[in-house]
Amino acid sequence: MDTTVYVPVDGTRAVRARDLTKTYGSGEAVVHALAGVDVDFAAGEFTAIMGPSGSGKSTLMHLLAGLDTATSGQAFVGTTDVTGLNDGALTKLRRDRVGFVFQQFNLLPMFTAEQNITLPVELAGGTVDRQWFGTLVETLGLTERLTHRPAEMSGGQQQRVAIARALIAQPDVVFADEPTGNLDSRSGAEVLSFLRRSVRELGRTIIMVTHDPAAAAYADRVVLLADGRIAGDITDPTPESALAGLDALRTLEPDVSTGTTPAVPGAGA
Amino acid sequence: MATTTTAPSTDAPGSSSGGVPAAGPKGSSLPTARYTLAQMRRSAGRLTAAGIAILIGTAFVAVTLLAGNVITRATYDTIAARYADADVLVTTSGTDWRQDVEAIRGTDGVAAADAVRSAYLNLGDGSVFAYAEGIARPQDSRLMALDLTAGKWPSERGEIAVPDGLAERLHVGIGDETQVYRWVTTDPETGDGEEVTEDVRVVGITQDPYNAYASSGGAVVATPADIDEWADDPVPGGTFEIAALLEPSALSGGEPTPAVRDALDAAVVSGGKHSVKTVDEHAQQVSAERTGGEDLVFLVFVLTFAAVALLVAGLVIANTFQVLVAQRTRTLALLRCVGAGRGQLYRSVLLEAAVLGVLASLGGVLLGVLLAQTALFVAPRFDLGVPLPAAVSITPQVVLIPLAVGTVVTVVAALAPARNATRVAPLAALRPAETLSVRRGAGRVRAVLSALATIGGFALVGLGVYFGTTGEVQLGLAATVLGGAVSLVGVIVGTVFWLPKVAAFLGALVSRTGPASRLAAANTLRNPRRTSATATALLIGVTLIMTMTTGAAAARETADDTLDETFPVDIMVMPGAGEVPPSAAGTVDGVDGVTDVAEVYAADAELPGGEYLYLQGADLEDLRATVHDEHALDNLAPGTILLTQDDMENLGVAAGDTLEVTGTGSAVPLTVAETSNMGLSDVVTLTDLRKVDPEATFAAVWAALDPAADPATLLADVQDAMSDQGVFVTGPAAQRAQFEQVINVMLGIVVGLLAVAVVIAVIGVANTLSLSVIERRRESATLRAIGLSKSQLRGMLAVEGMLIAGVGAVLGIALGLLYGWTGALTALSVMGDVTLAVPWLDLGVVLVVAVVAGLIASVAPARSALQASPVEALAAE
Repeated sequence: MDTTVYVPVDGTRAVRARDLTKTYGSGEAVVHALAGVDVDFAAGEFTAIMGPSGSGKSTLMHLLAGLDTATSGQAFVGTTDVTGLNDGALTKLRRDRVGFVFQQFNLLPMFTAEQNITLPVELAGGTVDRQWFGTLVETLGLTERLTHRPAEMSGGQQQRVAIARALIAQPDVVFADEPTGNLDSRSGAEVLSFLRRSVRELGRTIIMVTHDPAAAAYADRVVLLADGRIAGDITDPTPESALAGLDALRTLEPDVSTGTTPAVPGAGA
Repeated sequence: MATTTTAPSTDAPGSSSGGVPAAGPKGSSLPTARYTLAQMRRSAGRLTAAGIAILIGTAFVAVTLLAGNVITRATYDTIAARYADADVLVTTSGTDWRQDVEAIRGTDGVAAADAVRSAYLNLGDGSVFAYAEGIARPQDSRLMALDLTAGKWPSERGEIAVPDGLAERLHVGIGDETQVYRWVTTDPETGDGEEVTEDVRVVGITQDPYNAYASSGGAVVATPADIDEWADDPVPGGTFEIAALLEPSALSGGEPTPAVRDALDAAVVSGGKHSVKTVDEHAQQVSAERTGGEDLVFLVFVLTFAAVALLVAGLVIANTFQVLVAQRTRTLALLRCVGAGRGQLYRSVLLEAAVLGVLASLGGVLLGVLLAQTALFVAPRFDLGVPLPAAVSITPQVVLIPLAVGTVVTVVAALAPARNATRVAPLAALRPAETLSVRRGAGRVRAVLSALATIGGFALVGLGVYFGTTGEVQLGLAATVLGGAVSLVGVIVGTVFWLPKVAAFLGALVSRTGPASRLAAANTLRNPRRTSATATALLIGVTLIMTMTTGAAAARETADDTLDETFPVDIMVMPGAGEVPPSAAGTVDGVDGVTDVAEVYAADAELPGGEYLYLQGADLEDLRATVHDEHALDNLAPGTILLTQDDMENLGVAAGDTLEVTGTGSAVPLTVAETSNMGLSDVVTLTDLRKVDPEATFAAVWAALDPAADPATLLADVQDAMSDQGVFVTGPAAQRAQFEQVINVMLGIVVGLLAVAVVIAVIGVANTLSLSVIERRRESATLRAIGLSKSQLRGMLAVEGMLIAGVGAVLGIALGLLYGWTGALTALSVMGDVTLAVPWLDLGVVLVVAVVAGLIASVAPARSALQASPVEALAAE
């Protein structure tokens, strides 16, 4: 198992974390959700962040995406340090350079699929690139669904709309938080293969948080997290290797977490 | 932070602690109560806004009742003030009252006593006059309500003390002479008599600190002997009042002892009916006679508006509970799963409403008392001329009525939401939150009822307009008001069917302005029922306000037209206390802005049928120059007399007929010519008038004004120029100004009272937005995550608020115009042709106020929405 935690910076890194730390509480009660994480995510790659509950994987994603403020350290999207941005700049970052896919889909119920997909571009006051829109819709198999409202679609279809929404502004990176958590296994597999196609065919960068080894296996690379630290890195994972990596963390847990609290409150997904 | 989705762990104790019983739906109500209170604590913020709506409504009721009390108290005090420190009033109908006064003075326990006598006087010196009440100076100064500020009290006949205000008006000071004029009836049979003038000397200046004589314009004090002479003795059977001040020993707890009462009763020796009352008892009795139920009319009038405010508050409450029940669907379903009965849930919601109602109403009463007390505290700084009590008197009604009304309104408003709560299926607990659908729209019964009430109501309004235009104003008004009320109810009940369509239209308009507006428009439409209910609350107030302003505008316009027909010229100088002097024409012509004047002469004339005419005549050219109604003079020529159609009918003549008019000489034949202007009826040329009566007197000056000048200012200028002539200067401008003032004051009061309903409705808008924000927390977070900026989120809610308020305002304005016009047609048609005007300014103000209010209503919800961090969108259930 390759446990390298430091990857040298070059132009192909879409997202980087440098000594990223997030603590809750203070003094005796201090809890380290993230304890100095250094990690790089390559552009054009589909990366899964895996770890047991409380490992800090959601916290890592929130910090990388500029949704939460770090206690110390830096997080970069491209060359932008998101830890130093104010709300206005963060909003702009989310509009232009970052996309999100949520576990709950989070489509707006009063809008059709098409309106949901184009919303981020409209919020930014831009015009929709119809060619890119067509490509997305076709790739994600939504051509027949564009006039439907979320209530008229299945979970898998809704999540595909959400993926299209995340990609419409051609962001530098898409963060997906347990995107298959609310789906049955068949729809889940469908969504995961769409995510993979977005990376391979459309050249996007996706970072996905999951606790499911089968889902992680769709990624090009798995970053393992335990107790707020990077605990492993698997390239070209299979369900088996991902599961093995996760299991290894679990068996290591007593040793690794000596002297610390077993679970980090507030950091679970 | 409480989110809209359920928190079973918090709710579980309520349901498990008790009772969810084998007894099933009939389980005890105690656990329900405990659950309800827990639920209320959780929803405290959401209930607060609804509570404020009720609080304002009940405060309105409380203030009204308190004001009623203050008015009653002030009336008592004004009446009682005349008797100064007197404790008891003895009323006797005997003619030998002087004997009674002596007897009462001699009664044990009486410190002082005097007859309360007054005479109505006309004072003046030939150029200035004033009416005043004359009162006799009592023996004991403790029975005198006035204070002496200068000079001395009158002690000899022919001496008077006058109030400072009156002294100023009469231009007199201490030592000055003036006259008292009075009419002495010499022959009671025919009422014939003569005017008697007596010289009097001012010896004192008084002040009226308790406004005892404010209602009669101040009292002139004279010796009892003068007053006896000046006063008309009462008709047989009339009564005298004798005010008595008692020794402290004769009082117990401020009341005369029974022994003193009996002694006073026995002291009356003149026979006839007599009574012994305390001053308070007397004041109570007199105020009841005097107001004749006027204070009741005031109460009913203001309470009508309080009822409107409470109706609106009820809508806000109903809407809030509807939303709360919808948001608690999962909790309610969970409770049903663990065995709560429908009845328990129903009672729980009603209990929640009752608790809210009681708390909010108590707050309302408190606020009402505070407001009323503040008003009493501030009022003395404005000279109102009425003695006001220093503190409000809190009677049981003031507390209990608002409390009961507020609570009942809240509970009644919660009935429908409570029924909805019982319809939640236990299965709903198991469904994912997203698919929990909001209850479907309204039923068919509602549609039919609404249509019937709307159509029937408007038919009745149409009938009322018909009656009004055909002269049956009373009947017409009754039909229009009833029809208006019924149709408004129909419209309100039916808003859910058509208001969303209007909202969709307006939404489509605003959604072009940007993505935030598009989101807002979509949000407004996603829950048509909620939007309808919120906008309807505003619609009610706006409709009523717009009805009033439209009616007032129509009344103004119609009055203008009517005034133009009544007054042929801009300014008329007519005899007042004195005749119009011949120099008046020149004086008026000299006022800047007066373009032309006509000297008008007048003479009495008789017709062959015995009718009398008051003929007015002026030079034809002068008339043409001054009369602004150009066609009204078309038919006037030498040898003609102008008459209106009405006057011709009364005299039984027609245009072209010859009328034999006899003045001081022989009969003069005049040809009847028609005029449309009432003020020009009986007008002839000056030459013809001289033929009828060579001695025709100079009667009036008519003047025309520069059209560019302000007629009201010029009228004042002319009045100033003629001020020392004792003449009466009037014109349409004066009448118009007076009329405007009456309309504006009435409109101001009514709009002010209705504004309370609008304020409550705006709170409703804020409440609905807040509840929607809570419901859409995840959605707001998602929008923030995909690039909605803070200001866009704020803008979205602002547009939502403005859209809801705007829909209510636009529809309210439309309805108000309709009601205002039909009401004006019904009520004003008797005055002439009704001019239906659109009060654009008022309309604009109402719309702007409503939209701005919607904007303000979005501020607090937006602040709460902005607390939603984008992270929340990522959080799992």
